[in-house]
Amino acid sequence: MRNRFSYSQPQPVRAIDFRVVLVFFWSVVGLLFYVPRAAADGEAPAWMKSVAAASIPSYDEKTNAVLLYSETNLTVLSVDRIKTHVRKVYKILRPDGRGYGSAWVYFNAPGQKVENLHGWCIPAQGKDFEVKEKDATDMSPPGVEGGELVDDVKVKSLRIPAADPGNIIGYEYEIEERPLVLEHRWDIQDLVPTRESHFSLQLPAGWEYKASWVNHPEIKAMESGSNRWEWATTEVKGIRQEPRMPPWFGIAGQMVISFLPPGGLSPKSGYTSWETMGAWYRNLLSDRLQSSPQIKEQVANLIAGKSSSLEKMQALAEFIQRKIRYVAIELGIGGWQPHAATDVFTHRYGDCKDKATLMRAMLSDIGIESYHVLINTQRGSVGSETPAHRAFNHAIMAVKLPEGLTDPSLVATMQHPKLGRILFFDPTDTITPFGQIRGHLQFNYGLLVTPDGGELVRLPQESSSMNGTQRTARLTLDATGALKGDVEEVRLGDRASSQRWALRSVTSDKERIKPIENLLAMSLTNFQVIRAAAVDEKRNDQPLRLSYSFASEKYAKSAGTVLLVRPRVLGVEALSFLETKEPRAFPVEFDGPVRDTDSFEITLPDGYQAGELPAPVDMDYSFASYHAKTEVIGRVIRYTRSIEIKELSVPAEKVEELRKFYRVIANDERSTVVVKAPTAQS
Amino acid sequence: MSLYRWSSVSLLLRIVLLGLAITTAVTAWAVDGFQPVSPDELKMTSEPKAPGAPAILLFRQVDRDDSRREAAHETNYLRIKILTEEGRKYGDVELPFYTESEDIRDIHARTVKQDGTVVDFDGKIFDKSLAKGRRIGLRAKTFTLPDVQVGSIIEYFYTVDWKHLYDSHWILTSELFTRNAKFSLKPYKSANVPTMRWSWHSLPPGAEAKEGPDGIVRMEASNIDGFKPEDFMPPANELKARVDFIYELEMPDKDLAKFWQRIGKSWNGKLESFIDKRKVMEQAVAEIVSPNDSQEAKLRKIYDRVQAIRNKSYEVRKTEQEEKRNKEKAEENVEDVWKRGYGNKAQLTWLYLALVRAAGFEAYGCWVSNRREYFFTPNTMESSKLNANVVLVKLNGKDLYFDPGAEFTPFGMLTWSETGVRGLRLDKDGGSWIETSLPKASESRVERDAKLKLSDNGDLEGKLTVTYTGLEAMYHRLSFRNEDEIARKKFLEDAVRAQIPVAAEAELTNKPDWSSSETPLVAEFDLKVPGWASSAGKGEILPTALFTANEKRLFQHATRVYPIYFNYPLEKREDVTIELPAGWQATNLPAPQSKDSPLVAYDLKVESAKEGLRLKRKLAINILLLEPKYYTALRNFFEGVRTGDEEQILLQPAAASAGN
Repeated sequence: MRNRFSYSQPQPVRAIDFRVVLVFFWSVVGLLFYVPRAAADGEAPAWMKSVAAASIPSYDEKTNAVLLYSETNLTVLSVDRIKTHVRKVYKILRPDGRGYGSAWVYFNAPGQKVENLHGWCIPAQGKDFEVKEKDATDMSPPGVEGGELVDDVKVKSLRIPAADPGNIIGYEYEIEERPLVLEHRWDIQDLVPTRESHFSLQLPAGWEYKASWVNHPEIKAMESGSNRWEWATTEVKGIRQEPRMPPWFGIAGQMVISFLPPGGLSPKSGYTSWETMGAWYRNLLSDRLQSSPQIKEQVANLIAGKSSSLEKMQALAEFIQRKIRYVAIELGIGGWQPHAATDVFTHRYGDCKDKATLMRAMLSDIGIESYHVLINTQRGSVGSETPAHRAFNHAIMAVKLPEGLTDPSLVATMQHPKLGRILFFDPTDTITPFGQIRGHLQFNYGLLVTPDGGELVRLPQESSSMNGTQRTARLTLDATGALKGDVEEVRLGDRASSQRWALRSVTSDKERIKPIENLLAMSLTNFQVIRAAAVDEKRNDQPLRLSYSFASEKYAKSAGTVLLVRPRVLGVEALSFLETKEPRAFPVEFDGPVRDTDSFEITLPDGYQAGELPAPVDMDYSFASYHAKTEVIGRVIRYTRSIEIKELSVPAEKVEELRKFYRVIANDERSTVVVKAPTAQS
Repeated sequence: MSLYRWSSVSLLLRIVLLGLAITTAVTAWAVDGFQPVSPDELKMTSEPKAPGAPAILLFRQVDRDDSRREAAHETNYLRIKILTEEGRKYGDVELPFYTESEDIRDIHARTVKQDGTVVDFDGKIFDKSLAKGRRIGLRAKTFTLPDVQVGSIIEYFYTVDWKHLYDSHWILTSELFTRNAKFSLKPYKSANVPTMRWSWHSLPPGAEAKEGPDGIVRMEASNIDGFKPEDFMPPANELKARVDFIYELEMPDKDLAKFWQRIGKSWNGKLESFIDKRKVMEQAVAEIVSPNDSQEAKLRKIYDRVQAIRNKSYEVRKTEQEEKRNKEKAEENVEDVWKRGYGNKAQLTWLYLALVRAAGFEAYGCWVSNRREYFFTPNTMESSKLNANVVLVKLNGKDLYFDPGAEFTPFGMLTWSETGVRGLRLDKDGGSWIETSLPKASESRVERDAKLKLSDNGDLEGKLTVTYTGLEAMYHRLSFRNEDEIARKKFLEDAVRAQIPVAAEAELTNKPDWSSSETPLVAEFDLKVPGWASSAGKGEILPTALFTANEKRLFQHATRVYPIYFNYPLEKREDVTIELPAGWQATNLPAPQSKDSPLVAYDLKVESAKEGLRLKRKLAINILLLEPKYYTALRNFFEGVRTGDEEQILLQPAAASAGN
């Protein structure tokens, strides 16, 4: 598992998780090129046979496989050497479980080495199969656009023969590592059910450990030898994936264990608290934050003519966002430790922690104190109860605001008991203005690294009024049902970011219209964009304004002597991801608070008159609200609505309410006004 | 169904393109160093021929030297102008290569700022192992350029060493617009051959590869548009300008006809050798058909019998160890295939040829070009692009094509990529050119028949039967051939839900036949669409068509660059009966829609029926390839379809209706 600062430049619309791409790449490479060589048939070892011989309970028909047995034996040999021996045995239950027929061993080279990789298959019929390490393929990801260019994450893949339903697959391997930190995470849960899982720890004499439990009740350790302990679980449920579910580390059972050498903390000691982890990180930063004459000169140029500290900070922030290209080169400790600010400045590139480092150096040059903040971009991965460990994948920063500085643009702030008012800022995010943070960072926990060490803090949740689309349209309907008119959109927060990103990502001027066409196509069967313009597209500190005109033939449907007019002309807020037969197991997560509003006015043709109107909708839940109303004012049908997401996580027991919420919205979005033609009234 | 599958292919395409890049792309520049940058290049802020481009290739030069067979090498020089912030990503460079066949060396790079200041690349070039195993070595040279800003020029050159002599390709079209490009190739020449020939495709005006008196082939090109994939476009290879160089082990035929005659004779000899088991085949035919069978019945019985043979090409890929343990010998002729009861796709198709000949039919083996990657033309003399085998049978004066080795292909049809393509019909004289048949839209259908009831609260509920025929059935059967009933059920239910533009519940109630080639794939469901009818005052509004989600966002953009390409013609039919709530009736019936042309057709009709309403819809797409100039017409057609689909029926309680 990658456990590093690997977060790339945030992209508002990311259809594919890079890790999925990488796994896919590896899978394709593996499928295309890799066939294990023919090896002498070998019998599965006795430990695997004994597991395979046991009867298993029945599982539901969608269970792809079952992890029959998992064993992790971790031996700390010294502060510089840890050996971990792993065994796993799966039974494949369905064709979709064939993926469990390959061992995927993740490791970091050169810090870790995989040895003695063996795999076996005990088929339901016939002799066993055996494959060995020489049959494996080592792979590492290609550079990913917007992601890591170079890192030392590798995977050793061993395809085991006959991974078919009914067959039993097992493998074992050892990893020897030179640890950066004396810490380990034992994953208790899998995507499939686990029958039996064991973990043992052997420490050198005089060492101690600290075990913490995440999403799982504590399991008492059994002392099984001199400085050796064992833990075991049985019959652990698998975690089946659901749309918009919390992140894996927010729900999966884990034990985080720190190894504590005798004689107090060493630089590599596992973390006993967030404070000690903060201190560890502070030490990594210690020689990285120095400025240079060149940086100072750049700072002077950037702030020239700026009188207020806010203007100066904004100028520096824009420089970091716009002029320092996101490039992640993460090797060894470089996965955690930033490059020196001077190097980042010279090359004009760096990853998230590099950008934060240079920004801090520049702020320091104007006398403003700031701090690194380590965070996981998937809110919920780290919570208030999470034990200290390397659970983060991104670095942002907190700026100690000068005394008395207040400005409405400074939203992502919190009052810190010692540091005073601090502002969170993500210098990797090239689209969000200084003063705000993106939805996935809001209400998230981060490790604030201070000179005293560190502490876990909860980032602020911004008001929903800071994020949303305010859409207004003045439209005219003619007697044929054709609709045309003008639309103005004011986009704030993440809603602006996503559209800015879409506009920024086009590869030609011709494509700039496509984001608007995409929007219209969601609601109109036919349309012609007559005019379109974006205002303040590149000014992140301003709302993004989209202004466009369109025409749509036969928008209103003729039904005998009446026209049927849908007053909700544009915008789709209803979501259907909860319309499944499966009962919901996990909460529903939203990116961030948001409030969208629509206001459409449709002027009817002369003599036409609206009949009975759809009933207004008023829904207020603790997590969200929706209000919609259709009115007639003279010849104008006026539709207004607002939707607000107030809570970022809706618990599973409230999901039925959320489902109803979206169904009502879907109905409202399709509701119709019957408009009578002049002849129909006579 | 193939029509809407393009986006899911795109990721795989990217992976494949990565592979192509490794084998085909970018070579290096054998000059002394960087070329001077002109003031115009420095100050330019946009390219009029590529407005809005994030970056353009100002200059690219490829020089390949194959003159020494064991020391072939290529150099490539690229100069890129960064025009937008997005374009700065081109400052990251990754050059993948296969270690077995290539190496990359002598990388030089620099950034030239807009003011002319040069920032030399002095960073590290990372040598990444992307994949390393017993049979694969894939590495990449990776580096990133310093101080890449909008307005910068980045440039780099490097050399690729080839460990052997390979065919080579100049792919002129890249992701970026290319202002100027130069290519050269110094071919290997020897009295003992191999010899080289080249072909080209879609070259920009003025670009022509010519061999000079020094034996070097050179070409210059300019203003080459950047490549940006679109939905429903032909294979990317068909859209990119390219020159392909091929070394041949035999003396090249200057004459096209002679070239193919030689190829045809050679292949025919191999085919005849594989199928020449007349006696065994006659015995087999006797087991399959009876003398009283009609000619067509005989062909069909033989076809069914061949398809019943285990087809190894469609099994879950086995490891070498599994294959070794199975002790399955290689099949050397049709007798082996027949007696052992298994074979691969191509072998089974040749078995069919042998059997139908033994049954007395005039039949020929044909090699055709599948159109997944390229559109074939004999003019380029690329025999490797004839890569799929089919059987031509003469029956009652007609040419019938068969490919029973393509699993689940119905009798009388070919798998989609083999339809409507050219191929070489083999005979002892070398053969002749044929074009395979293209099935009509009506031969590959998705039919949905539903009997539904509308409840007082607007829910629609009842029975639905979906019938997939022809290539539609084949595609689904192939996709799920190695899956279980759970996965197949999920797919079918998801497919129904995906067709309905609002949230719906579908429960499969029958056991579809996934194993047959001949019968349609029929799936029956309990269907519920909550809130399908929406309120309109005292009445309810009922959309005319139910299964329309696929067409909802088809061709929504006003502009188009590339031709429109469908894998195969297709037809959709819906016949939906809706029983209305007691006392309710429709106050209007939308006017029938009918847009009929040879290429596309759409019919929609709503009738009053005994139960309430009957909605019939047909959408037929008879297009394979359409020039971009017809895009607007096609877009208009689909807008008309969507508009027709969203015609609405106003339902009112009888009293209210009477009042109106």
